[in-house]
Amino acid sequence: MDNTIVISTPPHVKSKKTTRGIMIDVCIALAPAAIAGIVFFGLTALMVELVAVAACVATEFVWFFIANKGFAAKCKNAGKVCAGWWKQFDFTSVVTGLILALILPSTTKWYEILIGSIFSIAVVKMLFGGTGKNLVNPAAAGRGFMFLSFAITTYAACKIGAIGTVDSSFVNSDATNLSGLLPSADKVTPKSYLGVLDLFLGTGVKGCIGETCKAALLVGYVYLAVRQVVKWWQPLLFIAVFGLAAWLAGGFYYEKYTLDAALILPNILSGGVLFAAIFMFPDYVTSPKGVYGQIFYLCVSAVALAVLRYLTNLEVASFVILLMNLFVPLIDRAFIRKPFGYVKAKKEGK
Amino acid sequence: MKAVKGKYYFGGVHPKGAKELSASAPLEVMPVPELLAISLSQSLGKPAVPCVTAGQAVREGEIIAKADGAISSDVFASAAGTIEKIAEETGVNGVKETFIYVKPTENGEKAYFPALKDPSAEEIKERIRECGIVGLGGAGFPTAVKVSPKTPVDTLILNGAECEPYLTCDHRLMLEKTDDIVRGARYLAKALGVANIIIGIEANKPDAIALFEPYEDIKVVILKKQYPMGGERQLAYVTTGRRIGAGKLPADLGLVVQNVGTAYAVCEAVELGKPLYERVVTVSGKAVKEPKNVWVRVGTPIKDIIAYCGGENSSPVKAVLGGPMTGVAVADYESYTHKTTSGVLLLTAAEAETKAPTPCLNCGKCADVCPMHLMPMNTAFYSAAGDFEAAAKYGHVASCIECGACEYICPAKRPLIQAIRKTKAELRNKK
Repeated sequence: MDNTIVISTPPHVKSKKTTRGIMIDVCIALAPAAIAGIVFFGLTALMVELVAVAACVATEFVWFFIANKGFAAKCKNAGKVCAGWWKQFDFTSVVTGLILALILPSTTKWYEILIGSIFSIAVVKMLFGGTGKNLVNPAAAGRGFMFLSFAITTYAACKIGAIGTVDSSFVNSDATNLSGLLPSADKVTPKSYLGVLDLFLGTGVKGCIGETCKAALLVGYVYLAVRQVVKWWQPLLFIAVFGLAAWLAGGFYYEKYTLDAALILPNILSGGVLFAAIFMFPDYVTSPKGVYGQIFYLCVSAVALAVLRYLTNLEVASFVILLMNLFVPLIDRAFIRKPFGYVKAKKEGK
Repeated sequence: MKAVKGKYYFGGVHPKGAKELSASAPLEVMPVPELLAISLSQSLGKPAVPCVTAGQAVREGEIIAKADGAISSDVFASAAGTIEKIAEETGVNGVKETFIYVKPTENGEKAYFPALKDPSAEEIKERIRECGIVGLGGAGFPTAVKVSPKTPVDTLILNGAECEPYLTCDHRLMLEKTDDIVRGARYLAKALGVANIIIGIEANKPDAIALFEPYEDIKVVILKKQYPMGGERQLAYVTTGRRIGAGKLPADLGLVVQNVGTAYAVCEAVELGKPLYERVVTVSGKAVKEPKNVWVRVGTPIKDIIAYCGGENSSPVKAVLGGPMTGVAVADYESYTHKTTSGVLLLTAAEAETKAPTPCLNCGKCADVCPMHLMPMNTAFYSAAGDFEAAAKYGHVASCIECGACEYICPAKRPLIQAIRKTKAELRNKK
């Protein structure tokens, strides 16, 4: 017998799933949306995707190289360090880069993407401890950072649509036409100028690269659900609650209180709701741990998003994500699971 | 009775069974090895106290150590021979254990108790105690204590789930000794004074289910193939719908759970007067040349068992005593079987997982599969930070049955069971 026997605590057999495998699965699920973006927006969209992914991975690599002690020693045997980096590389930065690219408009300048990507990885993720330790979603934070820093470009992309006359110049601008439900000038009756089918397929809709073609997003959702990366009910719950909230909130928005069920589908299908529901809200790191916590988190997020969209007329999905991420530690504390067969301890004296 | 399906149970994992390796190998009796080392720590509770001295001749089945206290059991000579020495050595768990070394001789004389004909409840209880029978499922709780519950019980549950991958010893026993198991169960039921006997068998053993169906006094429940279906609390819920919470015993809810192997041992103890000194052990894993199910005497060296099964096929990465989900990994083959050793597994690199852990992703899969509905990630997080009170509070460590489902599913390969055991030990030391 040679001495290669390993001893450890049980279990001695484990599932084949790894962090890297899960992240590659997410990349595969994002691929249809990325390709649809290239089809609709051309090679500039491809440029955005490539720059974002490359910048994110490069930032992570540089951080790996210069963080911790022994920079000079690392420079000497750079080959070994690179091999070590590849060994621990788990594709999370690829996912961050890809998601960041897909929630940007195709007109974003390359240097803006570069700065946003570096912020996402270096500040939001690595500074807090790397994979699994970030407080907020790096892609959402990167997008928020870019929105505030390069207001002009991204502001237009966020605009839900001015309250006012809808003219063709606006429709043809690069603004995310969040809504098929662009409110008409008199704020009396909702009026949709884009068909639900157009919104679903993304034809004729301007917006962010990955958010326009809802059909491609659904393909990604099915893949994630089948591979059990995302719990199948999570995006559905979010969308259902969001639709309900949008329906009710829409009623309050118009001067004459009307509940119009026709508002539900355009609300869901416009902007980044589906993308956020499938790829951003169920994110492992920044969502609560327990099932009850997750249900609470998704429901509150969905209501907040639906209401804030009406109030601001902006696509606020990434800001709602950032906001809700900060509540996650509190939700985790509040929702502790009851163990199997748990009986409430009887108070003394009773 | 006609088999019925068990209740739905939330939580659990579906590891690859790998039972096909040894499932078709009939039970074989392994020849007596050259030297036996019988540990005195054969059950929960205190180790037994030796009642023989070095150089003394013993017969097969003769008592060599007496139980010390209520939760302890007698130990018997597994073969006729002479006592070589009584020595303290480090056991498989890293704890010091006292071993009695027996050098077997050709003399095949047996020292059994007299057989009982139509025994009363008290006689059965006494026989179970004097034959040193312990739960053969793995925990090693003395059966004599279990058949004398302090609260009234109404149901006896036989555990034929065998949810651990690789292991097939209970399966083979159920196939080949069906009637003995049923008779043993009837003795147990009589000792307990209960009328209901339920046997839970996992759906992947249809042949065993079919064999138990003809018995009119036994209710067969088909369990979903899911780990850990054979856990005491899980089995009790699936078969009867009663929830046994933390700190409670099955007897508190009127149940007694016994392994099918234990029922067989009870049958032999009553009808033959045979003390518990041998059991079926599954020898399996892709690194074993001929996977088998063998009758092994307590105290048999692991290396002899492996040699009996043709030796190594390829060099193993892990050697495990027991099942792969809860068993103990040993560093070499210089250890000996106990009453509770259900398997000897040699796992190749393709089977055993030895990857280094990566950072926790907070994915919550461990909580989703926990059969006790706990949150293992909290325990791991707080115990790594050294805050064991919080680890116990937010992870409900006290309820953990250490089944290993959480660590099995973890994509980051976090050592969760290690963290849980560490927390339990730290809290014990503080008290």
